[in-house]
Amino acid sequence: MLNTWSPAGRLRRAHAPVVLAVAWRNVRLRYKSSILGFVWSLLNPLLFLLIFLFIFSRAFPQVENYAVFALTGLIFWSFFATSSAHILGSLVESAHVLRSLAVPPIVFPLAQLLAGLFNLLLSFVPFAGILLVFGWQPTWNSLLVLPALLLFSVFLFGLGLLLAALNVFFRDIGLLWGALLPAFFYITPIAYPPDLVPDDLAWVAGLNPLYHYISLFRSVVYEGAMGTGAQWGLTALIALVALFLGWSVHRALRRGYIANY
Amino acid sequence: MIELKGLQVDYLVQRHGFRSIKEYLISFGSKRLLERKRVLHGVDLQVERGECFGILGRNGSGKSTLLRVLAGIMEPSAGTVRVNGRVAPVLALGVGLEPELNGWENARLCGVLMGQDRNEVRRTMEQVRDFTGLSAEDLDMPVKRYSTGMMARLGFAIATANDPDVLLIDEVLAVGDAAFQRKCYARIDELKAKGCTIVFVSHYLGEVQKICDRAACIEAGEVVQVGHPHEVGVHYHELLGIPVE
Repeated sequence: MLNTWSPAGRLRRAHAPVVLAVAWRNVRLRYKSSILGFVWSLLNPLLFLLIFLFIFSRAFPQVENYAVFALTGLIFWSFFATSSAHILGSLVESAHVLRSLAVPPIVFPLAQLLAGLFNLLLSFVPFAGILLVFGWQPTWNSLLVLPALLLFSVFLFGLGLLLAALNVFFRDIGLLWGALLPAFFYITPIAYPPDLVPDDLAWVAGLNPLYHYISLFRSVVYEGAMGTGAQWGLTALIALVALFLGWSVHRALRRGYIANY
Repeated sequence: MIELKGLQVDYLVQRHGFRSIKEYLISFGSKRLLERKRVLHGVDLQVERGECFGILGRNGSGKSTLLRVLAGIMEPSAGTVRVNGRVAPVLALGVGLEPELNGWENARLCGVLMGQDRNEVRRTMEQVRDFTGLSAEDLDMPVKRYSTGMMARLGFAIATANDPDVLLIDEVLAVGDAAFQRKCYARIDELKAKGCTIVFVSHYLGEVQKICDRAACIEAGEVVQVGHPHEVGVHYHELLGIPVE
């Protein structure tokens, strides 16, 4: 799924059965521990959609179909928020295993990413239904959501791995991230159209990687377009940089994990 | 066959206890985040194939670290480690057991975590049934409903399934009840007969003297004596300050 020529890719191929077994365990735990397990991943974006519809639908007349506009962004934001939290805590959570068995630590963040992706892909079915009800008109370009999701996942994994590594040593990273997420939500044009951002601040908005991913998702799903070369190029670049950063930090700190879980 | 030459192992610990990134930033990097703590200082050891080798030592002497290096969980900072064959580490009971899943699913999950392939996992599931004596009904129950004895048996069965070449045991036998210990010793005898190399860490001299061919005493990260379990036992008790009967 991810870059197979990188050292990370080679490692993944060598340990694929372990990653898949742990990922499946994570998926089953999300279903078993609460009836709402799977339904929650649907409920969260839908709840926000209802709130936004109630408050904002008439505030942005320039947006053609506000419900589809907002829901598209919300689906992927919700995936980002829950998965980043799961990946962030995955190393500390698996300390017991990592101290007593020779399993490469990267297995656990990767397994959480795969579990989150599995959940998201399953939820595409009900979401597609709901979008249709709101008047979404799918095109062949909508299928481009899959390569976009691939790039988004690489970015998410790089970022999550970085946070997970830091979290082993600084246990408040999780709290910090929890505090930053709402801020990112408001900075990213999810509930409002991007033209609301004043021109002189457009560069600030551009610094936010999520801005680029959400606009790519909206291009292919909401607008039914193919996405520009610049969009694809930039999102791919961000993904690779994030993966490189996360992987480097993990490599550098890995030897210190065992004493500090 | 196990061979250690000049093995040095360090831990990277947070000496100043920065548990919060706020504290770390406030110190402006004046205090180092991680410090090297040397736990093993140049260990030389050789264990022959099929031998049952005991390791005695006080708390903090480096026994568990030694096992972790043999299991491939930690890397040496210096020196060489050579371990031939498949290693089954039993460093803790119930490693990887997921309370919400049942016995079968856990056997499969833990088997995969230990690096077993599909055929080996299938054999593990059969051996689990035989060793643990758990009924099919028990194995269908989520593990959170098991007694500690049942969980201990399950963990040990999974770890020792598939006849490993090297078995590493770290003080786990003392945890279970007498029935559990009896089963474990029986399994250990079985594996010994099949030529498995066993490294057995324990606090209890009696255990080591009962099943080990040779033993070593480790103190403050160095091997201070290697030899017959009785002689090593005397040395160990001297270290502890216990008079030898």
